[in-house]
Amino acid sequence: MNANEFDVIIIGGGITGAGTQRDCAMRGLRTLLIERSDIATGATGRNHGLLHSGARYAVNDPESAEECIKENMILRRIASHCIDETDGLFITLPEDDLGYQQTFVDACRHAGIGAEIIDPDLARRLEPSVNPELIGAVKVPDGSVDPFRLCAANMLDAKLRGGQVRLQTEVTGFIREGDTIKGVHTHNHQTGEDVDYYAPVTVNACGIWGQHMAELAGVKVGMYPAKGALLIFAHRVNNVVINRCRKPSNADILVPGDTVCVIGTTSTRIPFEECDHVAVTPDEVTLLITEGAKLAPSLSSTRILRAYAGVRPLVSADDDPTGRNISRGIVCLDHETRDGLKGFITITGGKLMTYRLMAEIATDAVCRKLGVDKVCQTAEIPLPGSEEKSYEAVAQKIWENPTTAQKAAAARLGTRASRIRTGNKRDDALICECEEVSVGEINAAIDRLEVSTLTDLRRRTRVGMGTCQGEFCACRAAALLAKAHGCVERERKDLEDFLQERWKGNFPIGWGDTLREAEYTQWVYKQVLGL
Amino acid sequence: MKFDTVIIGGGLSGMLAGITLQKAGQSTAIVSTGQNALHFFSGCFKSLKEPDQRILELFGEAGVRLHYNPGVWLTPLGNFKEAALALEDIDIFPSPKFARKVLVVNFLGYHDFFSSFLAEGLEKQGMSCRVRFLNLPELEKLAQSPSEMRSVQIARIMDHLWEKVVQEVRVLLKDEDAVVLPQVFGLQDAAVPNRIRQGIPAHVVFAGTMPPSVPGIRTLFLLKQRYQLLGGTYLMGDEVVRAHTHEGVVHSVATRNFDNHYLEADNFILSTGGYFSKGLVSNPFQVVEPVFGLDVDYKEDRNQWYNPSFKEDQPYMHFGVKADEKLRALKDGQPLENLYVTGSVLGDTRPDFGFAAGQAIRTAIFAADQILKKA
Repeated sequence: MNANEFDVIIIGGGITGAGTQRDCAMRGLRTLLIERSDIATGATGRNHGLLHSGARYAVNDPESAEECIKENMILRRIASHCIDETDGLFITLPEDDLGYQQTFVDACRHAGIGAEIIDPDLARRLEPSVNPELIGAVKVPDGSVDPFRLCAANMLDAKLRGGQVRLQTEVTGFIREGDTIKGVHTHNHQTGEDVDYYAPVTVNACGIWGQHMAELAGVKVGMYPAKGALLIFAHRVNNVVINRCRKPSNADILVPGDTVCVIGTTSTRIPFEECDHVAVTPDEVTLLITEGAKLAPSLSSTRILRAYAGVRPLVSADDDPTGRNISRGIVCLDHETRDGLKGFITITGGKLMTYRLMAEIATDAVCRKLGVDKVCQTAEIPLPGSEEKSYEAVAQKIWENPTTAQKAAAARLGTRASRIRTGNKRDDALICECEEVSVGEINAAIDRLEVSTLTDLRRRTRVGMGTCQGEFCACRAAALLAKAHGCVERERKDLEDFLQERWKGNFPIGWGDTLREAEYTQWVYKQVLGL
Repeated sequence: MKFDTVIIGGGLSGMLAGITLQKAGQSTAIVSTGQNALHFFSGCFKSLKEPDQRILELFGEAGVRLHYNPGVWLTPLGNFKEAALALEDIDIFPSPKFARKVLVVNFLGYHDFFSSFLAEGLEKQGMSCRVRFLNLPELEKLAQSPSEMRSVQIARIMDHLWEKVVQEVRVLLKDEDAVVLPQVFGLQDAAVPNRIRQGIPAHVVFAGTMPPSVPGIRTLFLLKQRYQLLGGTYLMGDEVVRAHTHEGVVHSVATRNFDNHYLEADNFILSTGGYFSKGLVSNPFQVVEPVFGLDVDYKEDRNQWYNPSFKEDQPYMHFGVKADEKLRALKDGQPLENLYVTGSVLGDTRPDFGFAAGQAIRTAIFAADQILKKA
């Protein structure tokens, strides 16, 4: 067997691709995942990180609502170390129609979502940061999910099951024989190598870039890029997800996640050319702050850490050439039946919440093509790290008397935290003080989680995600990367790229303490460290 | 409390203004919140290109010896940048290739000194390099708490441990003609770095670490000591909360700690620093000077505050308080009779005074002279 031959090639290292690779690997297939940059760089890592209960969709899109609540319950079981079971509130403000509340609750119950009307007083006690003027509240099983962790855990499990991963590798074309896709041509951006990989089935899981990938394969998939902008606040203002109980609109969800909270989102149709460089505009920032303060008034005086935006991969329904009938539902296209192109499947649409279901649907299609008869087990078998539910119990088991930094590592990695080298001062030294990330955890990520840049490291460990935005830890982590990769010169450039990437999310909200921190970072790196 | 001059801000600029005025016989007070740019000082005065005898003396009298040697200095990440004036333990080389062979010495477990970057930078200049780590049991104490292995904490230990470092380096040294060590020596004076230089049979270069800067804190300490020895009143950890101004003249200021006792003075100096030190405060709509509400030169359109590229010059860093030709602060377009502005709160509104440390020094001396001329 040739080392470049697989049963299935999955293009796209977002959550859909990683989930599909895991499912395929669990069904015994030899898999290869190809990603042009790093995992979770597209819409996967650019959303609220909301573990939807489905309530948001209950009134307008009952099908999505049902999918959400089912997947919500599954993810609590299989991905517990990526999930914070916070619950959620749908609040009615004086300016909203309280009559909508009953419609909303009925629709939730119809979809199987446990929605409970609670007294506004109780809501204020459950979530002290909530707008005290609320006149109605419904409690739902929302939560928060760390998409980076979730994506890394799926990729890791696929690898544990023999799957291979090629990051920083771009598919440049397809190997086609007659009406069949036989494999892909790739170019590695780091090594400069061009390699061909072969498989009887290739899955296009490229999110919004799926349209381009389909074109490359010679078929047409009509997609509609919709930009959503979000803001990260420097404190975890709320412990319970806060939503507005009204028709879904702009900036009406506030999600707590780790040490921060996130308000979003907006929705703007953008041209395809902008997908690679989405920027947040001042108007969007203003809207997000104004609307966000209605959910939790303290947001108006809370420091904003970053602004960022993602692009939703919306797909036009297949029989609708006008593109008016846009669905947020899952779209799985078998291009053999649809376009007469064998060996090629597109999986798109959907959302972070339903990635596992999307992966199941795509893997079912792959197995049908390969004549493999294996059932999906991704809803039952936990991801690596999620074998235990409480991170405190995990930390206790590994370290007996865990420090706060060790508890933080256990919260990030679940049971996999036992793989971190620890117990000696060198490995326990902190590199990132904001997020309490140790030398040991960084080295474990570099060794085991396919890290080639500082930005990759941030996605795996939260290095540089805290209040200092990488001011102190970037340099320290760069030295560890330089050592691991044996190349200082590349690391110099990487450090510059990392600081640029941080600045990109800082300047749209560059005032107050954010500007203070930015001035300091500018000063330290340019004048003191002489980068 | 009545003084001849009250100085708001205890960084490099405020301190030098205070020293200059005390030397001339004035009674002054400095109100300092405690943090200032000397905590992240590189050790070089990059915008001072001329050997100014008065500046050298001002520092020298405080025990801060400077040397004037136009050339390049070695940055903590192993690059070389132009400089002319520096602290005595910071080298300025005529050209980047300052040695044939270099031994770079770091401490095991110390992540704020970038030895691999330094080595690569030196090799790029044609110097062959060896990196070695000292494993000193005395530093283990710091490693107990993983966030304590930082420059200042190490420097405290090095006051007693420097001889051991000298011995260890002597053992490591082969045929290298230069040794690079981190700037973690001499918190209170430059004696320790000087003794290390005498003890090692090769040229010793002290390269920078992640802030806080040990040479910067030493400079701050010595200047403060000098100011107090001259009789100056240094109000540490205090902050001006209100100012009383009448018909273009500042009469007094109130501080957080002495709320009911106004500090009165004939003249005032504002040297409160940039954004980081809160000399300038920004919100989504404007940049303001928070103590007196002085005129600030800034762009109204916030989109023009930034360059999206991190490495490019950032327009917001040029914003600053407006001052007249005598460095008197402008408020509503008119100069305040007795309020002088010095240091980085000026932003780039007076490029003729240089930038950063150079600006801080020159504007301080200039403002002090203006005040003394009046008397």
